Order: sequence, then C-alpha cells, then structure tokens
Amino acid sequence: MLSLYRCLLYLYPAPYRYEYGDEMAGVFRDVLSETRGKGLLPRAAFFLREFTGLLHAALEEHSRTIAGSNLLFPSSSRRFTMRSEFRFPKATPVLMTIILAGVILTIEKATAIRESLPLAYPQQLPPIHPGRLTFFPAMAVILLLAYAAAVIGCAVLFALRRSGVHRLSEMPAAPRK
Amino acid sequence: MDVLPLTEPVLLILLSLAEQPRHGYSILKDVEEMSDGRVTLSTGTLYGALRRLLEDGWIERYEEEDSSRGRQAYRLTPAGRRNLQLEASRLKHLARVANLRVARKGL
Repeated sequence: MLSLYRCLLYLYPAPYRYEYGDEMAGVFRDVLSETRGKGLLPRAAFFLREFTGLLHAALEEHSRTIAGSNLLFPSSSRRFTMRSEFRFPKATPVLMTIILAGVILTIEKATAIRESLPLAYPQQLPPIHPGRLTFFPAMAVILLLAYAAAVIGCAVLFALRRSGVHRLSEMPAAPRK
Repeated sequence: MDVLPLTEPVLLILLSLAEQPRHGYSILKDVEEMSDGRVTLSTGTLYGALRRLLEDGWIERYEEEDSSRGRQAYRLTPAGRRNLQLEASRLKHLARVANLRVARKGL
C-alpha cells in the first residue's frame, strides 16, 4: 500500500513531490501502521480519505502552478489565499470572442451596405473574404482560434513557472562591496 | 486583515504548532485530538496547508535533535502566532455575540 501511495505522489508537480514526497510517505506509513488491527470499515475509511485527499490536493497544486491561484477549487482557498504576482485572466477568451464577434458583425454589415450599392464599388473580392463567411461558421472558427490561443498562452505560462523565472524578482540583490 | 477568517484545517494546524514544534504525524494526531475525532486530515490536505503556510511565512521548518529523514518538524513564526491571535480574538468576539443573542432570545 505504501508503494501505491508513492506511485500516486507522482500526480503532484515534480518540485512539490521532491520537497514533500518523503515526508508525506513517512506520515502515511505511520498512520497506516496505526490502522493495522482495526476493523475493515476504519481501514476503508482511512484509504478513501487518504487517496481522495491526495487527488484533491494534487489537482490544487497543479492549478496553483499553472495559474497562481486555485482555479479548480476556489472555495477551498477562499479564506486563506496567497498573494499571486500574476494571474492569467480567465475572462480573456470570452472577451476576445465578444470583440471578434463585433468585428465580424461590422464586416457583415459593411458588406451588406456595399452590396446594396453595386455601381459605386467594383466587385473585386478575393476568393476567400471574411465578409463572405456566414455568421455562425465564422463564430465557430473565431471561438476555436480564441481558445487555442488561450491554451497556448496557458502552456507558455506553465512552462515559465516551471522554469522558476518568476522567482527572479524574489532573489536578493547582490551585496555591494 | 484579508487572510481571515481561516479555514478550520489551517486553524487547527496553527493551534497544534502553537503549543510546540511538531512533525506531520504529530500534527495529524493532535488535530484529531483537539477536534474530538471530528476532523481527520489526510496527508494531502495537511501538506498542502503546510506548504501554503511556509510560503506565507506563518510557519518555518524546525530541526529537531532526533530528526531523521522523512520526519521534518515545523513551528510557528512570529507572524503566524500574530495571525493566530487575531483569529482567536475574532472567534472570541463572535462567540460572545452569539451567547448574548442566544441568551436574549431565551434559547
């Protein structure tokens, strides 16, 4: 069972596992030895509590590593939150979608006005033109692009945080001679 | 103070460390004893809270004389003790208000 617990520790981010993995395994071993000799129900309750707690905490740590705050379980850290120097705006993809939807609607409107005046503007449209797209397929494309951009942005931030570059600002300045 | 009120697991962990420096297993048992068996922390919950408390400077690592690999002890810092006192004052005030209102209504 201890081996299984050690395997489950790999659900945590590597820095966390390196720093606390041995301690956590040691505490688990101590509590596990205490449950020996107890009935089936107490042991089952112990395993359920430990493994669900571990899964929950691992998800929290990954969420905190990526976004600097507990996005998955905000209520669990609501009253004890750490100050984060940077948070990726969760509303960014939604706002981007709304702005781009407005742009698309404007293009649609401009196209409709132009088509109502065929003699004033010559028909020189390229084969693929945003104004030719219908609204809903265009919205779907824009939505996909917006979320792809958000995923790429999150991945970049994740890589940066793992590199520890955000801790450069916390390093003390070199003493003056 | 924007870090108050504290969650119950954090409060119990701080109370446990307020008495003396402890390692993880000792904190688990002390929390269970303080809560009369009502609160049983998992190792994941415990070390998640310890990590946040360490990063916020409320607790620090403590080297025991008989420390071995895997049994790291922790203790409160002055900042942690101060925040714990603030929380205790808040709870004391709340309890006083609750007792007064309950007594007033004759419940």
